[in-house]
Amino acid sequence: MPRLMDMGLDKLNSLLLEMATISENAVDASIETYSKGGKGEQVRDWSRRLQTLHRQVGDLSMEMIARYQPVASDLRFLKACLEISYGFYRFGRYALDIVEVMDIFGDLAKCDRKSVVETARNTQEMIRMSVDALARRDVALARRIRKMDDLVDESYRQHLRTVIGQKKDVRCALSAGLILRYLERISDHATYIGESVDYIVTGVEPNQ
Amino acid sequence: MLSEQLEPAHGIYSQKEAPRNVSARPKVEIRQLNAFYGKKQALYDIDLAIKPNQVTAIIGPSGCGKSTLIRCINRMHELVPDAKVSGHVFLDGEDVYSESRDPTEVRQRIGMVFQKPNPFPNMSISDNVVAGLKLSGERNKDRLGEVAKNTLQRVNLWDEVKDDLKRSGASLSGGQQQRLCIARALAIEPEVVLMDEPCSALDPTATAKIEQLISELKALFTVVIVTHNMQQASRVADYTAFMYLGKLIEYNETATIFENPKEQLTERYITGKFG
Repeated sequence: MPRLMDMGLDKLNSLLLEMATISENAVDASIETYSKGGKGEQVRDWSRRLQTLHRQVGDLSMEMIARYQPVASDLRFLKACLEISYGFYRFGRYALDIVEVMDIFGDLAKCDRKSVVETARNTQEMIRMSVDALARRDVALARRIRKMDDLVDESYRQHLRTVIGQKKDVRCALSAGLILRYLERISDHATYIGESVDYIVTGVEPNQ
Repeated sequence: MLSEQLEPAHGIYSQKEAPRNVSARPKVEIRQLNAFYGKKQALYDIDLAIKPNQVTAIIGPSGCGKSTLIRCINRMHELVPDAKVSGHVFLDGEDVYSESRDPTEVRQRIGMVFQKPNPFPNMSISDNVVAGLKLSGERNKDRLGEVAKNTLQRVNLWDEVKDDLKRSGASLSGGQQQRLCIARALAIEPEVVLMDEPCSALDPTATAKIEQLISELKALFTVVIVTHNMQQASRVADYTAFMYLGKLIEYNETATIFENPKEQLTERYITGKFG
């Protein structure tokens, strides 16, 4: 027999999966804008929508705690929901930041964008993995995300090392540096989402 | 983690105010305990070590043996016709079921508070508190008065009744009656206090007062509470034991039981997925 709480848990799950889809689209679109040009108008809408959904997840989680006093796997799910929802919200926010780099720096068509786009591919893959891990409660997949995070971190550091000491085009170097920084943060949040999925299933907190 | 912020253990006493040696040997140690009502077995091979100056909650569905277990701890189970016990219950390392042990002495050291407040209706408030002391031979009125006052203060009832200590204990509200019964149990200075669903007949305000009191009492006593209310267990207990069909399924720190239980049966029970 379904419990009173189950309806709320299902609703939370739906909200998270909606956020997953939107945030994945937002990051993909922002990278597309960087590599091929454009205004990325839809990214702004998606970012706002993710903020709204993040608030809804927070409100519903608090309501569930107040009304049902959840414990064990229910409590872990709610705790993880807040972290996961924040991660998706941040994906949207960083996607918007990437689009705004183009607003600030203008046409970047003449810049060498290869390394940024390659790093973005890893980040996008991490997002997809975090979304799949959440949907399937797949701990093994969730744990693989962390390994990819190192690749993105290294790309960011490598870019900074290259820029320092080179008389490169400042506009290209700075825009690439900012975008790599946002990608690096997105990767971190994908990792946190993976850790939250691990926590829901196993009850083990990250770094324990 | 919330529980870390609330340490020491959901209570109002810091380690400095109430030194506790939780790593010390158990205050009560139950070993291979079996209990029967006639031919019907109610408890199966229970092993449980209850830590001193901590609150231990026992949870589980109706009929799982929670009340039987605590009644075995102070030898009240044997007062039921046809009831019997095998196994051991050690209080500070000494078996309460050894042949030389006087059950009355055991019950003085291990007090009990029941589900329904049961003050003696024909006794005044103060006489209710010291009823046990009088039975054990204390006749000094000054001493009895002092104990009544101190114990009523300890259960946070003194300010509510001090102006009319001679009125009947039965005239108090349900919550006050239960605190009076706790005072009666404490007046004989037990070392362990067993509570069998002490709040089940009380409203939320009275329940909150009893829970606050339980948190305070553990500075001086070892408390074991049977409760159907899991939120109550999570609020007041340092350790929680889950029982099912007469068996101890899981025993651990309360935060672990309610956040990440190890046994599927515990998980299903506390999340309401049973049946």
